Amino acid sequence: MDSTKLMKLRETSGIKIIEITTDLSSYAASDLRKVLEGLLVEKVDRVVVNLSQVSHINSTAVGALVGVAKRLRQNGGDLKICALADNLTRTFNLIGASSVLEIYESENSALAAF
Amino acid sequence: MAKTDIQLKIPSADFYIEPVRAFIGNLAQSLGFPRKRVADIQLVLDEVCSNAVHHGSANDAVGIKLRIAVDAHTLEILVRDTGSGNARQKNWLTRERLLEIETNRSPSSERGHGIFIAKSLADTHEMQPNEAGGTDVRVVFHLLKPNTVEV
Repeated sequence: MDSTKLMKLRETSGIKIIEITTDLSSYAASDLRKVLEGLLVEKVDRVVVNLSQVSHINSTAVGALVGVAKRLRQNGGDLKICALADNLTRTFNLIGASSVLEIYESENSALAAF
Repeated sequence: MAKTDIQLKIPSADFYIEPVRAFIGNLAQSLGFPRKRVADIQLVLDEVCSNAVHHGSANDAVGIKLRIAVDAHTLEILVRDTGSGNARQKNWLTRERLLEIETNRSPSSERGHGIFIAKSLADTHEMQPNEAGGTDVRVVFHLLKPNTVEV
């Protein structure tokens, strides 16, 4: 899948913002992982993932977010999540990822938390 | 409503899970499942099919089979794979492997949440080896009683 159909990438004050524009089922999740791992290679250290346009996320996608957040933290950075729909919040809570990832109501509050 | 069976076979590739997820969502909605429950059903379908594709298929061409049975009160989904090409671990459903996945699962794990999600969200969740050497996963969702209010 062309990653431009999956997400929009922006940057503000040195923080990379990934706005996901599709549901994150198995197929899109593997592309999300590739894009996130590409950011690690580029030495990006601060990332906000905006999920406001996402109505479905599976455990592969959540796992990719958790994995990249852990690796960023090892280098003093972080990955923060924002704008979760209710059913996404339920999935994060069920897996327990809410206790591992920092989740904010809005993109601005996630950016301000860095 | 009489019990109806729908049978599908899709290639063992992630790409084909998404249209099935959309189909099962539309079907569940048409049957009268509440919005939140439709999302649960779609997530479980995604997780079960993903496991069948990644752990229960020797290659893309072997495919996975789905049997969806509906009646006025239930939606039942059976996902059947034929096992991985690994001769030592053709059937990924071994007691040891399931125990290992369950024991190692934690909030910070990147993988291994799929079975937990399916067990947590489905009203019934069963896994068993099949005659093809793969795994059958059966999940059942019951419709709420008409006077039950979604919260």
